[in-house]
Amino acid sequence: MELIILPVLRFLGVFLLQIFVLNTIEPGFGIHIMIYPLFIAILPFSYNVFSVLTLSFFLGFTIDVFSNTFGLHASAAITMALLRPTLYKYFSPRDGYDILKQPTILDMGFRWHLMTFGTLLLVHHLWFFTLESFRMEEIFTILKKTLLSGGITFILCFILQYIFFKQEKSR
Amino acid sequence: MRNLIAFLQRFRVFIYFVLLQVIALSFYFSYISYPKGQFLTSTWAVSGTFLSWENDITKFFHLEENNATLQQENIKLRKNQLSNYVKISSELIKKHDTIYKQHYDFIPGSVINSTVTRRNNYFTLNIGSNQGVGVGMGVFSDKGIVGVVYMTSKYFSLVKSVLSENSNVDVEINPSGLNGLLKWDGQDPQRGSVIGISSDIKLAKNSLVYTRGASGIFPKGIPVGKVEKLIPVEGRPIWNVVVKFAQDYRSIQNVYVIKNLMQEEQKKIESNIPVEDKK
Repeated sequence: MELIILPVLRFLGVFLLQIFVLNTIEPGFGIHIMIYPLFIAILPFSYNVFSVLTLSFFLGFTIDVFSNTFGLHASAAITMALLRPTLYKYFSPRDGYDILKQPTILDMGFRWHLMTFGTLLLVHHLWFFTLESFRMEEIFTILKKTLLSGGITFILCFILQYIFFKQEKSR
Repeated sequence: MRNLIAFLQRFRVFIYFVLLQVIALSFYFSYISYPKGQFLTSTWAVSGTFLSWENDITKFFHLEENNATLQQENIKLRKNQLSNYVKISSELIKKHDTIYKQHYDFIPGSVINSTVTRRNNYFTLNIGSNQGVGVGMGVFSDKGIVGVVYMTSKYFSLVKSVLSENSNVDVEINPSGLNGLLKWDGQDPQRGSVIGISSDIKLAKNSLVYTRGASGIFPKGIPVGKVEKLIPVEGRPIWNVVVKFAQDYRSIQNVYVIKNLMQEEQKKIESNIPVEDKK
């Protein structure tokens, strides 16, 4: 039950926040805050790659339709989703993941979260901004946008997780 | 055969990924070049409905500002009214006017969704083909030009703003009357550049930049902005003229879509230019 209902609610939350709040904020310096990679990162460990890919595509495409980008968000989201299992396997604890835990900062700790989610976020943003400009000459602009937006998004996700999630009781 | 199946088994995740990526990217690149499919137009009509709900709420935050700009525009128009003028000669009587024929028609609308920080920025308007908006029509606000209509559905339309890579609006710099093309480099939403102006010509700072009205999309004389500085282009004898836009696109609300009633006629006569002379 929790495996189905929670992701649906999170999907709606991330979607509403992205479209109606974050898309209207434009802080300048080319910063574009994209919160929805958090949804892909915190899908339960038990989901297999195909459902993660499908959900990411669907989420990205929904956001595309609402922000006039026609497939750009979808493309970046599935790129990130493809890397997720590989990264999670690489950074897994010695005795595997506890099935009751979620891939959030509260359950897994800051270091793990920074390594996995930080990398995923950078890949996502880099892919997004590179496709958006699609020019070699603008490489420094792309990097600037990636780092600035990525940093701000990471901090925002950090705060959101502390507000909305509670720690799984360790036994 | 068994090898093939083993191969597919091994790379099934990657194959699925490539499939989804192809779908996403083909959407992206086909729409970035030209909107043709019907599918996105209809999904986009749904999102338009949501966004206009959002606009119904957020537009109240800008009421005061919008009233002030509308009032200023009203004053400007009122000055031009016939009743405002004193007749100086008794010989002339203004009767039913046949000297002038209407050239442009304007459709009012408001922006319900916009971006300014992307590489190509689009605005969604709450008017569509039912209100007479068509693809390729120009859009401007009371302060300056905004963009060109890119896609329409029944009640919504999408405008490719001048804050995008290939906006290429014909502009003219006053008072010297020089022609150039308006470009945007994707950096600053308040500044664009005009290219194609020879570097042996001196341009004064704060010269006004207007639309030229050559292609019939915009009438002549819609403000674009002011010249801020001149940067020499390396290796070519032209200026890169940095222009500060008259309209701040980050806070745009009410716009007008331009319907050129003589577009067909202009196109017809210009189609007579021989192909080899066009270059």
